[in-house]
Amino acid sequence: MRPRPTSALAALAAVLAIVLTACGGSPAGGGAADDGSGPIKIGAWIPLSGPQAASGVPQMEGAKAYFSWVNDHGGINGRQIDWIVKDNAYDPQQTVQAARQLVGQENVVAIVNANGVAPSEAAFPFVLEQSQVPIVDHYGGIASWYTPSRPLLFGTQTLYEDQAAAMAQWAVQSGARKLVVVHDDPKAFADVAGQIGPAAEREQPGVTTTAVPVKLGTTDFAPAVSQVKAAGGDAVMLVLPAPEAAAYLKAAALQGVSLPTYGYAPTASGTTVTLAGPAAEGYHSVSLVRSPTEQTPEMQQFRDAIAKYSPGQPADFSTLLGYANAAVFVEIAKTIQGPVTSKSIADAYGRASDVKTGVAPDMSFSAQSHLGTRDVQRVTVRNGQWVSEGDFVSAPERG
Amino acid sequence: MSELFLVVVSGIASGAVYGLLGLGLVIIYRATDVVNFALASMATLAVYVALMVVQRGLGVGSAVIAAVLVAVVLGLVVRELVIRPLGTGRLFAALVMTMGVSLIAEAVISDVWGTEPHALPPLVGGTVMLGSATLATQDLMVIGVSAVAMLAVGYLFTRTTLGSAMRAAAESATTAQIVGVPAQRVARIAWALGLGLAALAAVLYVPRVGLAPTVLAAPLFRAFAGIFLGGLTSMHGAVIGGVAIGVLENLAASYVSANFRDTFVFALTILILLLRPQGLFGTRSFERV
Repeated sequence: MRPRPTSALAALAAVLAIVLTACGGSPAGGGAADDGSGPIKIGAWIPLSGPQAASGVPQMEGAKAYFSWVNDHGGINGRQIDWIVKDNAYDPQQTVQAARQLVGQENVVAIVNANGVAPSEAAFPFVLEQSQVPIVDHYGGIASWYTPSRPLLFGTQTLYEDQAAAMAQWAVQSGARKLVVVHDDPKAFADVAGQIGPAAEREQPGVTTTAVPVKLGTTDFAPAVSQVKAAGGDAVMLVLPAPEAAAYLKAAALQGVSLPTYGYAPTASGTTVTLAGPAAEGYHSVSLVRSPTEQTPEMQQFRDAIAKYSPGQPADFSTLLGYANAAVFVEIAKTIQGPVTSKSIADAYGRASDVKTGVAPDMSFSAQSHLGTRDVQRVTVRNGQWVSEGDFVSAPERG
Repeated sequence: MSELFLVVVSGIASGAVYGLLGLGLVIIYRATDVVNFALASMATLAVYVALMVVQRGLGVGSAVIAAVLVAVVLGLVVRELVIRPLGTGRLFAALVMTMGVSLIAEAVISDVWGTEPHALPPLVGGTVMLGSATLATQDLMVIGVSAVAMLAVGYLFTRTTLGSAMRAAAESATTAQIVGVPAQRVARIAWALGLGLAALAAVLYVPRVGLAPTVLAAPLFRAFAGIFLGGLTSMHGAVIGGVAIGVLENLAASYVSANFRDTFVFALTILILLLRPQGLFGTRSFERV
């Protein structure tokens, strides 16, 4: 018996529907409908495997600790948070796949605290444009994401370029006039390092800058230290990942180079102190958050939350960054009256001002500015611990 | 002048590590026809065990011994359970198998010890002044230990019965077996020796950069460059090739361009291989058809 054409068409339509659902098609307007009850479903892609897992795992644990703490204390306006994390292995293709699962299958209303600049960019067309789901509190980011403001994309971390300008300002204010910038050679690092000279010149005309590029992944910094010595500077600026900054500090200590040394936020890390040991003493860095050793109620809550919900993780910068991002989301989500949807979250971010967490800078967003802060915290290694120097300071305007 | 001296000595210290890793690769390859891509990951796993030994206050010396022993045992286990069942002549299957073992080892490390870098203390602390250059005693120790290990391996292969058996097995396992050389035993010894040397390289290298799951990925890459430069079949070629790579990359970074450090080193390697495909110290092999 031959199948009737209508049956065949119905079967085809059913298959198409299944395929479209599997591909993560989501209604325009973003995420699932919300009836005001049940958990608030949000998601993230984070590198939990591969080389970038060193930052991804503690970032996830920090955010998880905060969300768990909030859930145990009543949730957001009485609603629990269901934060679903997918491993993207810092790979664009896996990130797109994770985005499709989170938006299409899990029906999350926002992507919160995702990680991976290039991988996330691969997912932007599907998440931001096609699905209209906001991406907020991204871990890291680049200037082009926020200038001009992009609909549904909101950031909470001071840009690398502003961090570089802030460390230049700090060095010059401390009396340095000849800066030697040791930076990794890929463009992403070179562009950040390139902000140091102009910022220093604006702070104090006549300040000179000498660049010492090194290969990404360098472990032997003896040649670079020799070049720093030859340059005759009076301060060194590091635009390197934390393990390389530690290797530089050790090599510099070995060669007797004791110049004041400043780093950008990725070097404000437990890794720098652990690997450099005594050579890290006196090292300055700008940080995106307060020092995790501060004796404030908010920081004590952070340490308690990590001890309780992520006992295998250190209560340091690596976990605090994820924790702070989660805290910003909760503070803003609390202001939503009525259903928590993709649109209401984006609207809440667009009007959020003076968002206080006690661990990160106060954040303010607007329709024109989707980056909540340009502030950094100055921190210095003293007795093997990162210590805050004063309060948050704003990065100088870049030219 | 002191800068050049520092750059060269520092390069030799890095190169000695590449040379030890390369030696481990060549020993295993010559005895069993297996290019062991898991060498670095397995050695890294052994260093994590060494870290546990240090954390228990048993001293760095004990940690080095522990690392070598663990690596040897790991090598034997992988050889017997993963490589041996493949049989002989399965070069590409074995290569893929070692890649798989490498990924598994990295996953185990990340799961058990996490992905945050750890500090491993050096075998010896302090510095030595040579002229106006200051050198870490550990770097000189790396060069010394590597040199001793290489000489010992050279002696083993050229002056002992076991070495002769290993060389015979390398030429033809079947023929060697016919004339009474226990090929399987030789293969086991080669894997144990190769992994032991790799673990030694790892414990000497890690104090400089910190211990992370993929810490030996870059040195393994350079060790491969070294053994191709020196000659895949030559043990002293592997060592000299590794040291040459270490020195060249430092010279290139200091006097050519940091951006083109690897480009310069590998362009030179390609040039040498074009002129001498068997490498600087390798021998050309001919197969009767």
